[in-house]
Amino acid sequence: MNALHLFTKNDAPPRKDTGREPGMATKATLSFYGGSGGDDSAPIIRIDHLSKVFKDKTKTVVAVNDVSFEVMHGEIFGLLGSNGAGKSTLIRILTTLLSPTSGQAFVNNLDITKDPETIRTLIGVCPQNYTSDVELTAYDNLEFYGKLQNVPDSILDARIWELLKMADLADRAHMPVRTFSGGMKRKLEIVRAFIHRPLILFLDEPTIGLDPEARREVWQQILELNAEHTTIILTTHYMDEAEKLCRRIAFVDHGSLIALDTLENLRRMIPAGDLIEIGIEHMVPGVEEAIRKIALVNAVTVVEHSVTISATNGSRVIPAILNVFEEYGLPIISISIRSPSLEDIFIYLTGKGIDGDANGNAAHGGKAA
Amino acid sequence: MIRSAFAIFKRDFKKFLSTPAMIVMTLFIPVMYLVIFGNAMGGAITHIPVGVVQEAPPYNDTQLFTSASYQLNHISQTDAEKLLDVTVYTDEITAKQDLENGKLSAVIVFPSSVTNDNAIRLYVDSADSITPPLVQAGLNQVLLSLGARNPVEVDKIYGNIKYIQFFGVSVIMMAIFSATMFGGGMALIRDRENGIHEGYLVTPVKRSSIILGIITSGTVRAFIAGFVIFWIDLLITGIAVQSLQAFVLVLVVILISCIGVTSFVVSLASRFTTQQEYMSLIAFFNMILFLTSGAFYPVIGMPDWLRWITTINPEYYGVHALRSILLRDQGLNVIGSDLVALLLFSTAMIILGIVTYRRTLE
Repeated sequence: MNALHLFTKNDAPPRKDTGREPGMATKATLSFYGGSGGDDSAPIIRIDHLSKVFKDKTKTVVAVNDVSFEVMHGEIFGLLGSNGAGKSTLIRILTTLLSPTSGQAFVNNLDITKDPETIRTLIGVCPQNYTSDVELTAYDNLEFYGKLQNVPDSILDARIWELLKMADLADRAHMPVRTFSGGMKRKLEIVRAFIHRPLILFLDEPTIGLDPEARREVWQQILELNAEHTTIILTTHYMDEAEKLCRRIAFVDHGSLIALDTLENLRRMIPAGDLIEIGIEHMVPGVEEAIRKIALVNAVTVVEHSVTISATNGSRVIPAILNVFEEYGLPIISISIRSPSLEDIFIYLTGKGIDGDANGNAAHGGKAA
Repeated sequence: MIRSAFAIFKRDFKKFLSTPAMIVMTLFIPVMYLVIFGNAMGGAITHIPVGVVQEAPPYNDTQLFTSASYQLNHISQTDAEKLLDVTVYTDEITAKQDLENGKLSAVIVFPSSVTNDNAIRLYVDSADSITPPLVQAGLNQVLLSLGARNPVEVDKIYGNIKYIQFFGVSVIMMAIFSATMFGGGMALIRDRENGIHEGYLVTPVKRSSIILGIITSGTVRAFIAGFVIFWIDLLITGIAVQSLQAFVLVLVVILISCIGVTSFVVSLASRFTTQQEYMSLIAFFNMILFLTSGAFYPVIGMPDWLRWITTINPEYYGVHALRSILLRDQGLNVIGSDLVALLLFSTAMIILGIVTYRRTLE
């Protein structure tokens, strides 16, 4: 059973343009941040000066460094950062698997260190590593977790089938999980975390190592779960994932929170505005100076055969820029204009790109550092 | 080829060096075999509890009875402590009851002054195939030194029990332990090694549920193993189960021993992270518990420090109870204390397992 088959079966909002390139097609259906997220006013998670220090004989690692933020009820909240930034540690603290070194955290107004047992009944967690028992079938795995989560026996069977259908795994219910593809395993883990209809769903790197098709299906599933008024916290180092799913995004770097806002507001943090990239054969003295003089242009950088121009309203500046090149008789090889991506914001804030990306989704990383 | 062979060697050796527990265990196990096996099997058997009594009707003690009783209580093998702990009885029936209840290993009945044949009757607990010959040898030695020519009639109260029958019963305990090595605790460690535990630790499941669940599953597995080996044991050694009551008691003993051994193994597993370290430790315990259980050799032949281990060894109580039922046809009155000891041990281990289980990832 391949991912394509599963994808065509799911009941996403109707689309007619199925022949188009998949990334384009899904953008329209997936970019409503947080879906019917609901009541934004009430924080459901409150983190207050939280720190976690791992001590070893040889070294001390500060995995989480004085982090404070709130997650609102019903939103999809993204924790974004490179590998080892402290995202998973933060999730593990919030899901009562690790205790904080200092600071406090409250889940649904319950202190994580004082009331871990109650918190465990409220949360659903999909850890970064596969935690399904591969020797058991999908059904058995869900049944096991349903019992641990105190789902009443009277509704458990129906609930399991509901989740299997949601994950498009109903026809594989009685097959051992070891025979599943990475994407199927991941989807099983996500619905498993949701078996008891938790108030909050923690997804640690939900799409790591998945192919683009499977990633989109997981995104679809996340949005469907959010539509059931579940608050979702996900960690990722994929910029596009955060852009597509998250209402608010927190950047984490070296254990510290460096920015937290909606995508639009984060975009505004870059003073430069839009980015215009122009490819050239060689540079002629004076051109750079002339472009800088154009109104609305904020900055110009020349690196070898490319001129990068930051302008407040990119598309309106282009004619003026083209004029300059014509004046100097400088042929243009290529030209592109784009809004700053999360990647650009991340680079702006940290001075480096997000690396360690197996799928190459953050391939620009480091270039503009 | 040599280069890659060397690379394989280097990788494996590095891994070996990075697990100190394994290195210690590889060296420790043979040394423990030396010390424990050597002491448990070859130790001089001393302080055998023996009852002496003169035949009824009670006349005055004969010279033979008084001297022999005294001497029996003071003989010893070279460089060892005294062989027999003699208790003088005034009543033959009480002495034999104590023999049947396992308080004595042998009863020696001396003839009274009016007996015709002057025979000395030696009643021995033949379920133990090692102690009776020692008692008999001791008695002969004393009679010789006293110049008494009385004939000795030996009565093996449980008939002729072969060593394989004596030993065979304890193999049931070994089956139980071997089954728990691979079941029960191993599941906990495998979950931890594969990171699966991270999945269920975030659910409201309690530590006690995890430990009790694992112990139950391990107990069932061990029980099946013990039960199968019990039948094989009967077939091979030719032991006959005397009654339905005995059969039920055997099942009870196997079950409670399974709980005891499994909870011990699981309580160890609740702290371990890697299968390798755990397995080497379990192999060590498997050995030490089996060797000190009295499976091969009577416990009274062991040095004091080893006997101390037997008092906290669940297998010792299991072996003792099974021997009492199967070889001596004894009942709850004798094995009751074994069952209590096993239950106390199990409870302690279950609590230890629950308390030491790490509910977090730290």
